[in-house]
Amino acid sequence: MEKAHSKHNWKSNTLPALVTVGPLTLILVLLVAIPLIYVVVMSFCSIDQYYNVEFKFTLDNYKRLISPDYMKIYGQSLLIALVTTLLCILIGYPFAYIIARTKSKKKRLLYMLVIIPFWTNSLIRIYGWRTFLGNNGWLNSILQTLHITNEPITFLYKQGTTVLGMVYCLLPFMIFPLYTALEKLDGSLLEASSDLGAKPLVTLREIIIPLTSGGIFSGSIMVFIPCLGYFFVSDILGGGNSDVIGNLIERQFQSGNNWPLGAALSIILIAVTLILVRIYKKMGGDMESLGV
Amino acid sequence: MRKNVKKKIVALFSAAALIASFCTGCGSKKENASGEEINVFVWTEYVSQEAIDAFEKESGITVNVSTFSSNEDMLSKLKSESEGTYDIVLPSDYMVEQMISQGMLEELKKDELTNLGNIGEAYLNQNYDPGNVYTVPYQGGVAAIAVNTSLVDIDITGYDDLFKPELKGKIVSLDDYRAVIGMTARSMGYSMNETDKEKLAEIEEKLLKLKENVALYDSDSPKSALISGDAAVGFVWSAEIALAMEENPNIKIVYPREGAYVFLDNWGIPKGSKHYEAAMKFIDFMLGKDAAKMNIEEFPYLTANEAALSAMGEDYCNNIAKNPPSEAIEAGEFVSNLDTDTLAIYDEMWTKLKK
Repeated sequence: MEKAHSKHNWKSNTLPALVTVGPLTLILVLLVAIPLIYVVVMSFCSIDQYYNVEFKFTLDNYKRLISPDYMKIYGQSLLIALVTTLLCILIGYPFAYIIARTKSKKKRLLYMLVIIPFWTNSLIRIYGWRTFLGNNGWLNSILQTLHITNEPITFLYKQGTTVLGMVYCLLPFMIFPLYTALEKLDGSLLEASSDLGAKPLVTLREIIIPLTSGGIFSGSIMVFIPCLGYFFVSDILGGGNSDVIGNLIERQFQSGNNWPLGAALSIILIAVTLILVRIYKKMGGDMESLGV
Repeated sequence: MRKNVKKKIVALFSAAALIASFCTGCGSKKENASGEEINVFVWTEYVSQEAIDAFEKESGITVNVSTFSSNEDMLSKLKSESEGTYDIVLPSDYMVEQMISQGMLEELKKDELTNLGNIGEAYLNQNYDPGNVYTVPYQGGVAAIAVNTSLVDIDITGYDDLFKPELKGKIVSLDDYRAVIGMTARSMGYSMNETDKEKLAEIEEKLLKLKENVALYDSDSPKSALISGDAAVGFVWSAEIALAMEENPNIKIVYPREGAYVFLDNWGIPKGSKHYEAAMKFIDFMLGKDAAKMNIEEFPYLTANEAALSAMGEDYCNNIAKNPPSEAIEAGEFVSNLDTDTLAIYDEMWTKLKK
């Protein structure tokens, strides 16, 4: 009797749980937990004379992280990410508003305009910008043909170019959450606001922005964090003159060949991400709109 | 009930399909192992596809090519992959030494290399692999200076001139810390492999002056920026300059008066290769006159293959970018391996330059 009971229990409780939650847990453990632990362990390892990883505890990697040179790159990286995020909000907000408020078939068209560039690899699109902005590129040719300038203007290989590339790559990540938030916005609130005599700008400040702040937050997180790591953008458009944290990590895993230091740098990136997500949650952000 | 049976049949079929797909997976793998196949890991823009195709046709061996753009990339990839992933590597001089001392290369059965006689004496028996036990030379080159004479009006004769304020924002440089720091050291009359801390501090001071002048760092295809005019001056590989000169006649090559950074790349077989014999055939084929010719026709680096060079004709031999003069090579210096403490200083200097 007891045996039958336990068998029943296994079949009705454990088995379904195992089948439903099991695979997900397994994937999380294999693809998130173990690599993360590996990175943490690696960041405390040392290297031998041939740059092989040695499992000997050291804090040297973390000591090197606080060198003023690295600090400057963190600062530069945060600045690039901040400016990119602000620009994405400025460009993305009106665009998302227009999509959300468009009623007709045009809405789908506008939505597709954001999605279609995604079908091309971002690396190729970034190289496209390089060709477009070069000294003998399209933009300079157009400017010179129209006699706006006589000499080619150097657009490439500056911090601003890196920011441009980041904005271009990450704008959709701002538009989607903003669109979702704006779509949920009840139109009658706007009517009520204007009935009560509020000017459009006041409505924007008092009604629209506060009600869509969740979208702004999640969009900002989704732009800010990748910005710290998108090393290929600063490599190609910044010409190696506007490195972000991602470049530092990439360099240690590739040409620097110092994996423990690279791991320690990655920990910084993870820490920044966690802090930002924490702030986001504290401010009442919804984890679901981050796609978590 | 009926519905249940239907469901079960569907489930059975999908399971069968899944298993079938697994089997085909295994099957194709087996097929690959029996048909000979080698995995070749070489520098990007360095080995001609035409030569590889010719080898495949002659030997019936399939060649899979992967590429790298720095010795350190290659080393870290080799270490992170399981042993036997690659059958051929193409490391530079100092990296050969490092790989040998870590036991990462197989010895070559030299009597199987029938075309070894094509290689010039001067390139054999180098310090990094005495007696060529593990490697044989392929091609090399010089980190020279490219000058676009229509965009620059100052006289450039050496590395030292790259630091002149007139070149602000005009240089494309290799994205390679040993090359750039080494170049700075040479410009001051020091060695590329300086370990003395005081000298390194001096080098650092000068290196940081380069920051203003470099518009971009690019090791993969620095010729693009030279050809397009995005950069007026380049600190790049001689062959890249040769190719840029063909596209843009205003570009000239300058071998630095201080003596340049020179390198020589070498064929080797990584430890644990599962296709040693096929890899030996590949190396021997690449040492052949015809393959070497195809390689320098497409990528005009300094070839170690004298038989191929003499077959290239006068135009090629007289082109100092394609065929660097022997004085330039003799005045040059190889990069050598440094201890980790010194390399950490180099790495810090590089970070400072790029911040």
